[in-house]
Amino acid sequence: MKTLPGIFAATVAAVALTTSFAWSETIGPSGETATPSTEVAVSDETAAKLRDGGHTAALLWHDQSDFVNAVTAGATDEFERLGIEVVATTSAGFDAAKQRSDIETALTRGPDIILSLPLDPVTSAAAFEEAKEAGVALVFLSNLPQGYEHPADYAAIVTDDLFDMGKRAADALAEAIGGEGTVGWIFHDASYYVTNQRDNAFKTTIENDHPNIQIVAEQGISDPARAEEIANAMLLQNPDLSGIYVTWAGPAEGVLAALRANDNETTKIVTLDLSEPIALDMVGGGNVAAIVADEAYELGRAMAAAGARALAGQETPSFVVAPALTVTADTVEEGWMESLRIEAPASLRGN
Amino acid sequence: MSITERGSQGARATTAEHETGRTKVSSVWSRLQLQNGIVYLGFIAIFIFFAVMLHDDGFLTTRNLTNIVLQTAPATIMAIGLVFALSAGEIDLSFGSTTAVAALCAAMAMQTMPALVGVFAGLGVGIAIGAFNGAMVAWLKLPSFLVTLATMGLFAGVARTLTDLRSIPVINDTFTGMFGSGDLFGVPSLVWWTIGAVAAGHIIFRHTPFGAHVLATGDNPRAAQVSGIKVPRIRFLVLTICGACAGLAGLLYAGRLQAAKYTLGESDLMIVIAAVIVGGTALNGGKGAIIGALVGSLLMGMLNNGLILMGLGVSDQMIVRGLIILLAVAISLRDINR
Repeated sequence: MKTLPGIFAATVAAVALTTSFAWSETIGPSGETATPSTEVAVSDETAAKLRDGGHTAALLWHDQSDFVNAVTAGATDEFERLGIEVVATTSAGFDAAKQRSDIETALTRGPDIILSLPLDPVTSAAAFEEAKEAGVALVFLSNLPQGYEHPADYAAIVTDDLFDMGKRAADALAEAIGGEGTVGWIFHDASYYVTNQRDNAFKTTIENDHPNIQIVAEQGISDPARAEEIANAMLLQNPDLSGIYVTWAGPAEGVLAALRANDNETTKIVTLDLSEPIALDMVGGGNVAAIVADEAYELGRAMAAAGARALAGQETPSFVVAPALTVTADTVEEGWMESLRIEAPASLRGN
Repeated sequence: MSITERGSQGARATTAEHETGRTKVSSVWSRLQLQNGIVYLGFIAIFIFFAVMLHDDGFLTTRNLTNIVLQTAPATIMAIGLVFALSAGEIDLSFGSTTAVAALCAAMAMQTMPALVGVFAGLGVGIAIGAFNGAMVAWLKLPSFLVTLATMGLFAGVARTLTDLRSIPVINDTFTGMFGSGDLFGVPSLVWWTIGAVAAGHIIFRHTPFGAHVLATGDNPRAAQVSGIKVPRIRFLVLTICGACAGLAGLLYAGRLQAAKYTLGESDLMIVIAAVIVGGTALNGGKGAIIGALVGSLLMGMLNNGLILMGLGVSDQMIVRGLIILLAVAISLRDINR
């Protein structure tokens, strides 16, 4: 996206909780152009036809979390509107072998649609093969099995506006540190499409849109448990860091612990995905300046709609993105509801 | 099989121990039979429950029942190794990491070399890690719990480092046929591997002097030593067997997924331990059951399968599965290990 940095910074400051229209910068796993999730919908006429079909769906997730619950809620509500019964829900616990087992087991119920996050392009290629051959409408969240082609093999990939998430993080951190200073960049040190795009978008935005901010420390992380020691080392070498970007909320909790242990109240943190401990620090005026989140419920709704459209023989875009939002201390309650469709935890309410 | 494969065999090691063991066994034999019988009956009861509840949902289809065996094949193989270790009074916590390293080594080897090299690489790595664990326990006299706890982390790190967290595809058709998607006489290759490993494990465990020595070592290592059994050698061998089984499980995972990843096997630790205990193997040695481990492993797979087909939410599946495993373990272990 080529928005003016000044305008964007002002936007972040004034309207922390806004949705994004920066679709063009997030690129699909195979280089696909993004389609906004709002454009993926099932008409009432199609819904009426689907309701009589006795169709079924399976939700085969990678893990359990508030995010997955919100995606599930969005998908379930949309399926309910369309008269499609959810016959199986699973969690693979990030285990590629269990994901394959879950797919095989769910296929026993003969679902017409499968919504899933393939854990890994390589291992999931064989795992989804049976479902693909059975003609199930496959809608993937954020990842694509290697060698799969649209529309023959799958209905759609739905994901966050990943570039916009990283860009929002950069702009929020720039705003928090007054547009100048030095920052640390803690990125996900793994070949993972989602985090890689978000992390790189942060770096690109800082480098291109914020000339007075320098990234002086870069450190990859693969194990969130090591975040505190990574942050300690980073602060030891760069004691005057104005801010730190952390790839997602889990490791951000470790970075926050390191800052507290060092009695550092000035270095600002910006991270991605909602987390109660991180948000609690933010509403208490601590180190955390902002959290960038996705609209998980909308992701689920769009996935269900894409699957239903494929089932009805209608065209589906190959790559769909749902909006991102920036959550600050002032917008935490609205942000929680917007992202996860649940109330913010009690500790965050009324601040 | 006979319903129990009991640890009293270990008492054969010496006459005195034999007599003592026989007295002990005769006093608990009928109870053991009853307890193990309850576990097998429990398996059948759960099977019947799912068959009735899910008769319209495909539970009893050949495809679904085959799936359960295929899905549990690697865990069953790991469980066989663990039966040997636990029966000898040892434990291996590193088999999950070993499985990942073996699968990755096999996959990496097959990127440039034939399937046979990949098989040797995977099995060789498994055996080597098992032998390393075994040597530390047998000759450095370190507790297997601590040694394998350390090597679990060590080889989990190695698995991550080997490929820089990337997955390695396996595109060798010979290999994937033998260890994954192939079949022989219409029976999937994973089923053959399960049958072969269980049969071999059962024969070695029940019908060879080595099996008796394993049980004797687990039952009373001092008595076993006095009777002439080379206890360190037994400890070395059972942990090596564990490693070999983990290596084979890694090959099966690599064949089934047509890829290898550093996470393979990591989540199997608790499932395999539960399967082995439910199947009638004692945590503190001297008693083990290969067939029981197979039944335990199938029980875990059947629970996963049935609870998903029932349409339960993920959290509900975990709660129900945990309660059933708790019940099964309680029945298996009641009084025996006190």
